[in-house]
Amino acid sequence: MSALAEKLMVTPVDETSGYDTIHELGQQRLMQYGFPDMKTEEWKYTPLRVLEKRAFQDPIEATTALPSWPVDGVVLHFEQGVLTSDPATLPEGVKLSPISPDLLGKKDYDPLYGQREGAFGWLNLAKFKQAWHLEITGDQTVILATTLSKAFEAQVHPRLLIDVAANASLKLIEDQRDQGQGLINIACEINVAEAARVEHVICRQNAESVWIQRTDVDVAKDADYRVSAFDRGGRLTRHDLNVHIKGAGANGEIDGLVLLNDRQHVDWHTEIAHCVGHTNSREAFRFLADGSGVGVLNGRIHIHPDSDDSHSDLNTANLLLSDDARINIKPELEIYSEEVTASHGATIGQLDEGSLFYMRSRGLTEAEGLALLKFGFAAEPMMQIQTPEIREWVLGQLKEVL
Amino acid sequence: MSQTVEQVQGVIQKRYAAGFTTDIESDMIRPGLDEEIIAMISAKKEEPEWMLEWRLKAYRHWLTMKTPNWAHLNIPAIDFQALHYYASPKQKNRPQSLDEVDPKLLETFDRLGVPLHERARLAGVAVDAVFDSVSVGTTFQKELKEAGVIFCSMSEALQEHPDLVREYIGSVVPHTDNFFAALNSAVFSDGSFVYIPKDTVCPMELSTYFRINARDTGQFERTLIIAEPGSKVSYLEGCTAPMRDENQLHAAVVELVALEKAQIKYSTVQNWYPGDENGKGGIYNFVTKRGDCRGDDSRISWTQVETGSAITWKYPSCIMRGERSAGEFYSVALTHNHQQADTGTKMIHLGKDSTSKIISKGISAGRSNNSYRGLVRVAKKATNVRNYTQCDSLLIGKTCGAHTFPYIEAANASAKVEHEATTSRIGEDQLFYCRSRGLDEEEAVALIVDGFCKEVFKELPMEFAVEAKALLEISLEGSVG
Repeated sequence: MSALAEKLMVTPVDETSGYDTIHELGQQRLMQYGFPDMKTEEWKYTPLRVLEKRAFQDPIEATTALPSWPVDGVVLHFEQGVLTSDPATLPEGVKLSPISPDLLGKKDYDPLYGQREGAFGWLNLAKFKQAWHLEITGDQTVILATTLSKAFEAQVHPRLLIDVAANASLKLIEDQRDQGQGLINIACEINVAEAARVEHVICRQNAESVWIQRTDVDVAKDADYRVSAFDRGGRLTRHDLNVHIKGAGANGEIDGLVLLNDRQHVDWHTEIAHCVGHTNSREAFRFLADGSGVGVLNGRIHIHPDSDDSHSDLNTANLLLSDDARINIKPELEIYSEEVTASHGATIGQLDEGSLFYMRSRGLTEAEGLALLKFGFAAEPMMQIQTPEIREWVLGQLKEVL
Repeated sequence: MSQTVEQVQGVIQKRYAAGFTTDIESDMIRPGLDEEIIAMISAKKEEPEWMLEWRLKAYRHWLTMKTPNWAHLNIPAIDFQALHYYASPKQKNRPQSLDEVDPKLLETFDRLGVPLHERARLAGVAVDAVFDSVSVGTTFQKELKEAGVIFCSMSEALQEHPDLVREYIGSVVPHTDNFFAALNSAVFSDGSFVYIPKDTVCPMELSTYFRINARDTGQFERTLIIAEPGSKVSYLEGCTAPMRDENQLHAAVVELVALEKAQIKYSTVQNWYPGDENGKGGIYNFVTKRGDCRGDDSRISWTQVETGSAITWKYPSCIMRGERSAGEFYSVALTHNHQQADTGTKMIHLGKDSTSKIISKGISAGRSNNSYRGLVRVAKKATNVRNYTQCDSLLIGKTCGAHTFPYIEAANASAKVEHEATTSRIGEDQLFYCRSRGLDEEEAVALIVDGFCKEVFKELPMEFAVEAKALLEISLEGSVG
């Protein structure tokens, strides 16, 4: 067993939780496959040295103040990975309960997590303390606030399953703020049922914690799932976002913006899988890498056999703003159907000198001109957020940072 | 059931016209791979002692390596101990000129359209013909010598120019590079050697034709091209093999060295036997090709048309070490029936102001899988690097796959890297237009595919472009309807 596995796997399976079978499965797979290293294709640009060096303490109780959000909705606060809101006080149409062990046990995790590359998925299954099931009907807004306090030095593995009922509509804001130096390893599954709509916004600002998250989304017939991620960097962040389009007429869209600075490493692995035909998807992702930041994007479009009339496009434009910054991108296409269109475009470059010159000639200082150019570049993917209040809120944060 | 056996065979022959076997006695060493076999290969070639040591070092390293499995390929296990690592047509003495070469061999190359003899004069291309493990002859050697150009087989180079070989061999593709490069370093039996002296433009196109004939053999040739400062050369490579039910292994290594202001253009039309409609037989083509733009302002250009092989695993690469050096890669890869291809390039930018361009066209038909895999890496100190990549895939039929795996790594803030890729089927409107003009469906597809590949074909020397176009048409037969 590797040092990392030893460090993260010390706790024995708790047989009284009711989740013992699923914990055992996670533990067994993790022991079998181990943790990824630089030779694991899916992790080749993201070393886990930070994690290896870190010593974890037991979680301590702390309370972090919550910010305000631009829209009213149900706020579910996860403080250091533990739910602090009361599930009993939720309004009609929003139901939160522990996931039943039966429901968890039914799912086949092998094709989802794979082997070594999905080690953190298996780790989550092996070690989660709380696993919540959020069920949505009607038209709802839910804010998932995850905070890690300054004193956070633990490892936590929250698990969440979100079921959005047929014809329902959900605005989901994940507001993630880290001030600690531990490990958070989130596994989230979202099922978007027939003709349901989900507008998902992820706002993340990390400090020293290692933030690992996987979001697996299933989109049913005629459903619409759109996610916009605004990632302001962190010591080590890895997000696997997999959107499986499983019904005809469904649509999946991913927009992402990552700002990077000194000693930050952010790795996004996205996959859009067209499992059936007559489906559409789109992805746009931008990285602005400054200081000694490292950005990684692996964007995959996978069109399965017999998925004719699938259309997909991935676009990634990236800015290298300093001599020490690095960007590694890998846009992949894996196509097994004939009557499809799939394309990707990727660029890495710098801010346009000509535009900067123009702004300076109009009286702006160099810093102002640069900020304006950066904002113009960065704002584009965030403009796709449908709800105006949320869009303005995100753009406001972006302006503040730039 | 009205078709006769002859008609069927005729169609098969047409599909892979190079699939015949030459009935010639072979001198083979026993199958298997061990230090004794390597010593036997080295002894047969009368190599200097250092070469044998070099081979053994590579072999010992190979023993520690595992077959690569990262490509998007399904490679059946290969029994490396069952192969013959050396096979040559039996000849009493080493022929001193083409007139002494066995007429059967000459006939073989004649049938393949390789200008070895009197036709060579008309074609104006110098040819090195490699049959199984040995070079059977190199044309125009005298004329090239007058210009100072050395063009000969690797075995000959080891005898005549050992210092040159020793200086450069393994300097671009070291034996530790990968599994198949290590295997090749241990057992390579022949290949071509080219040396272009300073400020010399090679007076004619150079060409090597590789032919596998013997059963149960692998071909492991090694090509080394050295272009001294200010020189220029264009090199062409072609290959075929007989139609056999078993799979045969071809693991070559090509090393190019371009010094200051030198230019090397390397073109390949790869037409190894691809196997039959059911995926039986065919060549496993596992090749390591790499060019090193060592000098400032040097340029290396790879052009490849890949239509053959059951499995292709090949990534002709450029290392832009010199300032303002340039690398180019133009590729057409066509897969049909059960063929699998994982091919692309690596452009490693180390020098300032270096540029690279990648144009890759993949066509998948039948039940085949065709992947582009490419890497563009900009090193931290390489300022003002520029890369442009375009890779397009065309799907013909519902049971094939087309995939793109580009890796882009940028570590310098002044880098400009652009990549675009598309996958689509042949446009209905294009097809309809061609048909309305009187073309049948197969002709229309051939025309559209030809247009799709035009950007690559225009980079090929004229004779090769014609051959490549014809090859594509033949390879696509039966893919429509």
